Amino acid sequence: MTTLLSLTEKLSRVLVWIGGMLIILSALLVTLEVILRKVLNISLGGADELSGYAFGIATTFGLAYALFQRAHIRVDAAYNLFPAWLKLIADFVGIILLAGFAGIVTVMAWQLVADTIEFNSHSITPMRTPLVYPQVPWLFGWVFFVFSAALVILAAFVALLKRDIKSAEALIGAKTLDEQVEEETV
Amino acid sequence: MVTKPLLILVALIAFAVPIAASLGWLGLSLQYLDSPMPLHRALGDMVWQTGTDFLLVAIPMFVLLGEILLRAGITEKMYEGIVKWLGWLPGGLMHSNIGSSALFAATSGSSVATAATIGTVAIPQIEKRGYNEPLFLGTIAAGGTLGILIPPSINLILYGLLTDTSVPELYLAGFIPGFLLALLFMVTVVIMCKVKSGWGGETISADWATRLRALPALIPPIGIFLVVVGSIYAGIATPTEAASLGVVAAMILAAFNGKLTLSMLRAAVEGTMRTTSMIMLIILAAVFLNFVLSVIGLTQALADFVTGLGLSPFQTLLMIVVLLIFLGCFMETLSMLLVTAPLITPIVVGLGYDSVWFGILLMVLLETALITPPIGINLYVVQAVRGRGEMLDVMKGALPFVVTMFAMVALLLAFPDIALWLPSLVYG
Repeated sequence: MTTLLSLTEKLSRVLVWIGGMLIILSALLVTLEVILRKVLNISLGGADELSGYAFGIATTFGLAYALFQRAHIRVDAAYNLFPAWLKLIADFVGIILLAGFAGIVTVMAWQLVADTIEFNSHSITPMRTPLVYPQVPWLFGWVFFVFSAALVILAAFVALLKRDIKSAEALIGAKTLDEQVEEETV
Repeated sequence: MVTKPLLILVALIAFAVPIAASLGWLGLSLQYLDSPMPLHRALGDMVWQTGTDFLLVAIPMFVLLGEILLRAGITEKMYEGIVKWLGWLPGGLMHSNIGSSALFAATSGSSVATAATIGTVAIPQIEKRGYNEPLFLGTIAAGGTLGILIPPSINLILYGLLTDTSVPELYLAGFIPGFLLALLFMVTVVIMCKVKSGWGGETISADWATRLRALPALIPPIGIFLVVVGSIYAGIATPTEAASLGVVAAMILAAFNGKLTLSMLRAAVEGTMRTTSMIMLIILAAVFLNFVLSVIGLTQALADFVTGLGLSPFQTLLMIVVLLIFLGCFMETLSMLLVTAPLITPIVVGLGYDSVWFGILLMVLLETALITPPIGINLYVVQAVRGRGEMLDVMKGALPFVVTMFAMVALLLAFPDIALWLPSLVYG
């Protein structure tokens, strides 16, 4: 269990680096396009479309990492006043609803990709990109997110059964402000 | 019809359910309760279209730009440079806090990062130079909020997306109010220091030769700002393209300072993607929710309800402003923007107001939300960076600036041209 969890977390980090590289490459590509267009009057075309795909993929690749970092925003105005047991309930309800919503999105995304494959859909742009290429990795990001969320819920539940509240909190609790600030300062 | 969804939403948010899940489940439950059609079938396509929208590519670009600049080793030099220019004013370094925040905000766009970065550099100076501690902390908390308003702002992009408003126009509109607000903050400091003698601490005067020598430290942030905002205003680039240019410029700058290493890029990328994925999940849920709300007619019902109250347009607007200030005391800004903008903007536009203008007004209200207790994230950030004393000090110090923001709201209500003049010049 613990090994699987830490493996998944490591993989989420690798996915984030890949996603980040896609964003940096997009920045370079778009910059090149702007310069060529304005200075040399040459239009490459398609940089916007490609960077859109890169962005979509990078976003879903980062979802699981954001989950492990407990970065998904929660409004804690009332939460901070809860007694410890109620906080724990709110934590479980919160992550289960998050995973559930992501699950529904993933099923719908899966159907979209299945349709793309069945009808061999292309983008309606001059590039006529076969959509299956960007959509499959994009879908993988969603699936991996749901998988990670389910794993985190399971691990937190196991920790709870062992009465190890601290570990459960470390997995699903809301972030304290000090932790947030530490991230923002270098 | 309006109460049920509102209750569901309040319950979910108050129970600290992640915002993305709150919005998503509200959308799913409303379509189940109120719509004969399975609206969630559209979800897959919507998530793909929105998730690859070129306009939104600007989000990771701007976040990455900020993350790289944060690590490019320019903040301290920039702060020292600004001290040479603004330190002579009554209130000394407090003006540098506001000035550096404005400049840093103009390049990055995250208020938390701005407050944390400037706070780290500035707070050690309080005792050394004898400033009134609460007011000094207030300048950092308030200065950090400027990032929402001064272009390039991610929040303005999101507003543009959710309300179908042109982002370049919003950027033009945010320019004067953003810098005017920074100026008003500085006026506030001067007034406070004149009224309460002994609050002002040490002033730091520099001759013109020193000031000119300090200029090179200001070139990097100003240069990036010019690349990003200038290329949009000059019509060379779209906001997303401008953001990409900014990222490349920031990487060159970091390389120039010898800071462009693999580990630096890795840290920058991790921070960027964490923020981007988190924001995007909320946006995707918000877009789906808005789709459901308009299909089941709730957006219209809400507008009808407000019209039915029989208030004049101006009274309605005032009511909305008060509501937003109240919400801002308890909600975090991003969630507040995504929940309120799509619902309230149609009402305001229906009353005959301009959506670009309202976007700017909304940004000032969101800035207020960042420093109004009990939940104002910047207050907590400043207190956390300070690491001693009472939270109450920061709240007290931020209070004068809350008043200044209210004054700014009043100015925008009285003189809409503060926001609309620049766009009207360009777009006619």
